[in-house]
Amino acid sequence: MTILRCRGVTRRYARKGLDPLVAVDRVDLELSEAEFIAIEGPSGSGKTTLLGLLAGLELPDEGEIEVLGHDLRRLSRTERARLRQRRLGLVFQSFGLVASLGAGENVALPMALARIPESERRERASAALRDVGLEIAFDARIDELSGGQRQRVGVARALAAGPAVILADEPTGSLDAESGGLVLDLLTDAVRRRRIGLVLVTHDPLSAARADRRYRIRDGHLAEVGAA
Amino acid sequence: MTLLRHAVRLVVREPRRTLAALVGVAIASALVTSVLLFGAGSGTTVTRRALAQVPVDAQILLSPSADAGAAEAMVHADSAVRTVEPVDLAHFVSAATEKAGTATQTSAGVLVGIDPSYSAATGLFELSSGSLAAGMVAVSRDLASNLGVAPGETIVFSLPGGGSASFQVSGIVSIGGADVLLGPIDAAHRAAGANPPTNVAVMNRGDLDTRILPIIPPTAVVADAGAPTSAAAGQPTSAAPVGGSPVAAAEPAVRRELHVQLDHAQLPGDPVAAQQWLDQVRRRIERQAAGAFSVIDDTSASLQPLAADLAWGQLLFIFLALPGIGLALALSRLAADATADATRRHAALLRARGATARDLQVVFVGATIATAVLGSVVGVIIGSGLSLGLFGPLLMSAGVGQALARAATLSILLTTALATLAAILPLRAQLRDEVVTGRREVQRDRPALWRRLYLDLVALLAGAGVFAVVGGSVHPVLDPEGNPTVALAVTSFIAPLLFWLGGTLLLLRLIGNVMARSGGFTRTLGRLLGPGGELAARSLQARSTAASRAIVVLGLALSFATSVLIFDATYRQQQRIDAELTLGADVKAIPSSPAAANAARNALGAGIAAASPFADRVVYVGPEAQDLLAIDPATLGSVAPLSDVFFQGITASDALATLRNQPDAILVSAETAKDYSIVRGDRIRIRVPDANGNLKPIDFHMAGIALEFPTAPKDAFLVANLSYLVAQSGNDRISFVLARAGGDVGSAARHLATRLGPGWRVDDLATATARLANSITSVDLGALVQIDLAFAVLISATGATLFLLAGLAERRRELATLIAIGAEPGQIRASTTGETVVIGLAGIISGLATGALIAVALLQILAGVFDPPADRPAVPIDLILGMVASVIVGLAAALAIADRGIARLGVVSALRER
Repeated sequence: MTILRCRGVTRRYARKGLDPLVAVDRVDLELSEAEFIAIEGPSGSGKTTLLGLLAGLELPDEGEIEVLGHDLRRLSRTERARLRQRRLGLVFQSFGLVASLGAGENVALPMALARIPESERRERASAALRDVGLEIAFDARIDELSGGQRQRVGVARALAAGPAVILADEPTGSLDAESGGLVLDLLTDAVRRRRIGLVLVTHDPLSAARADRRYRIRDGHLAEVGAA
Repeated sequence: MTLLRHAVRLVVREPRRTLAALVGVAIASALVTSVLLFGAGSGTTVTRRALAQVPVDAQILLSPSADAGAAEAMVHADSAVRTVEPVDLAHFVSAATEKAGTATQTSAGVLVGIDPSYSAATGLFELSSGSLAAGMVAVSRDLASNLGVAPGETIVFSLPGGGSASFQVSGIVSIGGADVLLGPIDAAHRAAGANPPTNVAVMNRGDLDTRILPIIPPTAVVADAGAPTSAAAGQPTSAAPVGGSPVAAAEPAVRRELHVQLDHAQLPGDPVAAQQWLDQVRRRIERQAAGAFSVIDDTSASLQPLAADLAWGQLLFIFLALPGIGLALALSRLAADATADATRRHAALLRARGATARDLQVVFVGATIATAVLGSVVGVIIGSGLSLGLFGPLLMSAGVGQALARAATLSILLTTALATLAAILPLRAQLRDEVVTGRREVQRDRPALWRRLYLDLVALLAGAGVFAVVGGSVHPVLDPEGNPTVALAVTSFIAPLLFWLGGTLLLLRLIGNVMARSGGFTRTLGRLLGPGGELAARSLQARSTAASRAIVVLGLALSFATSVLIFDATYRQQQRIDAELTLGADVKAIPSSPAAANAARNALGAGIAAASPFADRVVYVGPEAQDLLAIDPATLGSVAPLSDVFFQGITASDALATLRNQPDAILVSAETAKDYSIVRGDRIRIRVPDANGNLKPIDFHMAGIALEFPTAPKDAFLVANLSYLVAQSGNDRISFVLARAGGDVGSAARHLATRLGPGWRVDDLATATARLANSITSVDLGALVQIDLAFAVLISATGATLFLLAGLAERRRELATLIAIGAEPGQIRASTTGETVVIGLAGIISGLATGALIAVALLQILAGVFDPPADRPAVPIDLILGMVASVIVGLAAALAIADRGIARLGVVSALRER
């Protein structure tokens, strides 16, 4: 079942005195339930912009994006935000944790935004931390955790709200090989066991090699390089 | 040079960073400039007010052979001269009267000959009772008391040279304000603070010239011109010996003078410049005299204390604005926080190009100084424009060019230095972070030194100690010439400064403590604003140092505006009470021909809410002449300001009730009660003039002591029931009608004047001159209040904006993350709204509380300059609410700016930032 679909998606950025920069150029992409897609490309190729478009953080100048049957262009900013709260999980290279909150509070944050009662979100956050092997770190401050642990908290946060899709932007980019491998294991495990769709943006061929399908992006053009 | 070029490039290429820094400096500079210009402008007010009370600017002493008419025409021709009035004076050796075979004599004094226009022109020698009839004299109250004479009786004046002349008394005349004119003209005598004569008789100048001057030898002089002249009543004295003082020049027994009033509109505002102008005019007139006359300056005694008083007054103004200046500079610090990102970005760029740590410091310090200078100049332009708009005419007469140049130089130097210092401190930390540790997401502070040393409590305790020792030490005092001046000590300002410092730090500590209790704070905001409220609470806790700083900026901006508002309202209240005491009520209508008590009924009508008849009779308690204030106890309370502090041992309402219920009751002044050993219940027989001016004894019973009373003189007076006085004396004439305005006082006075017709003169509070006008109380603080208020609102709004923008700059990636994981636009808005509400509420509440405390402390310290002292501070609720409303509007604008910043946040690019 297709849970994410792009058709002819283009995103341009205006530049003073220059032609607009085409960051994403007529991209077509589909993601099914329990599918893992990797998008590879060098810096500045348009990977993160494409991920932002898939998350509804920006809207395309042309083309359409459908997430779980919702055409993102037809949704208001608030509706797109609610879609991210409940059905999308995002993982960032620099972890994207709120330093003033503890590990458990960070995991519970999307649920707090979704107005889930405190007791329930605490329970689900504890479970998510347990799933990533950090059950004892619920009350830990972020600056007390290692890089690998922080990214596991990031993964726990993405998984805690029960998303249908996870969008991960270079989740292993700031980690050593061992920690990176562990994080990738967690994500692929979620794909298999929870039937979540995963879009992984990376410049690391080894990480991309674990995907069901691999795409390469260059100058905004996306091309499939073969199935795993 | 290359580094300096980089510094200039930083200013130009980071316009937001430059603008944020520039705003704080410009506000500080504009405030400093406005306050300095207000000080210069207030000099004009003080100078004009001081000289407005001088009835005559110069006495021109004619030589015996001078042609008075020609001299008068010559003086009048000078462009600076407004009026010229001829006056002749002759000293008498003694004055005596004989009644029922008993002779009474008093010591030396002065006979004054004036033209009918003199009193109207100068306000001097106004009649308290009777008239100044041809061939008769109106005598001063002292002379009447010393001799025990009343209108209708005759006085014989013994003159230098052995001659004498007798005159019938036709009235009692006030000699208030005439001290300098009646006193010696010799400079040495004046400098020694010689006592002016109090035995004074005023007559028509023609009578003096024909009946007195011909019998005084032209060479006669007065001995000991400055010695006290009053002698105990009834004690015969011998004539003072004729002869000169060994030090001071002998005073001539006869003086022919021209009294000159100058055009004060031509006066420079600065007291020193005003004195120079007066000297120039004096020398110019003297040059034309060719020995026919000399000019005696009567203004310098009033101007001399002004320069020092003005300096103290300006210190007060600067003190009132000082917190604002400090706060505006604190904005520079907030601006540096808000633009830390741009600083780091630019620093990283320069380092990538090989700049050393020292190079970075040169570039950023250079850019900071350049921005501070630019901001100061912008502030000077704004402050000057504001000042010219608010009090331009005063500045023009103060010498606008010089005042502007001085204010601009001081302002640019001061604010550039302080703003550079305020901005360099965080800059060093930012550069160190950039070089050494890279960007930190959240700054965790260790407690500041002042917290660990409890400097907040130390400052508050020290302030209380200083206040206890020197509080209330500011008093008006009289200088040797009798002019009020202010004795002010620098220590007077130490206590409020310590309160301000301690209060600020204590506020920081309390806010920090409240925010540290995270659970309750987060839950409360969460309940109020949903998830956005929780985010706000978390954000405030994470940035507690910056949040505390913003709250303190806002709180103290409001605090200083509140203290200025309360101080100004109390100051105006006391000015009004002083004017009301002098005038008697909002409006006073004085008949030019005899009027009876029922005239008060005619006064009622449009604009007038209540009216009461009032008679001021010169009566005799024993031999002493005193003012008897005869009132209608049923109506006076509704028109005149009667406070309980005016009476000793009784309340104001009890005093009026006693006068109403017991018609022969009389209230006496403390001085009279003491002099005559009168206690409550004692019978007092007073001689009161009947309808024909003949004195008639009437019995009263002492009912209490009055310390102050509307229209009453400062020393001895009596208060009685008007109906009883009219019934007993057969004299139903009133002196004036006092009225309370129903609305605007000026409009009520105009209505009343129209209703009563040309036979009445109507005065109102605006035209009444306060009795005590020293440098501080004579300045209208209105413009300063407007300046302070405008800047308080501006500082509050700018402070909140910079705090929120600094939050955006510091938390760009955090905000982007929140949006990415599903924070709704409304939740983000609720978060910034929550932060603004918390900062706004804390700032407003603490600002109002500390402002009120500082105002009370200031009023306590300056209580002595008010007469009477304030019972309690006046709180202008409407203005304070208006100010709070303006601050809320400013905060809403800050919120809108922050929301716009969030809406324009590039989430994807922010997420990419490391």
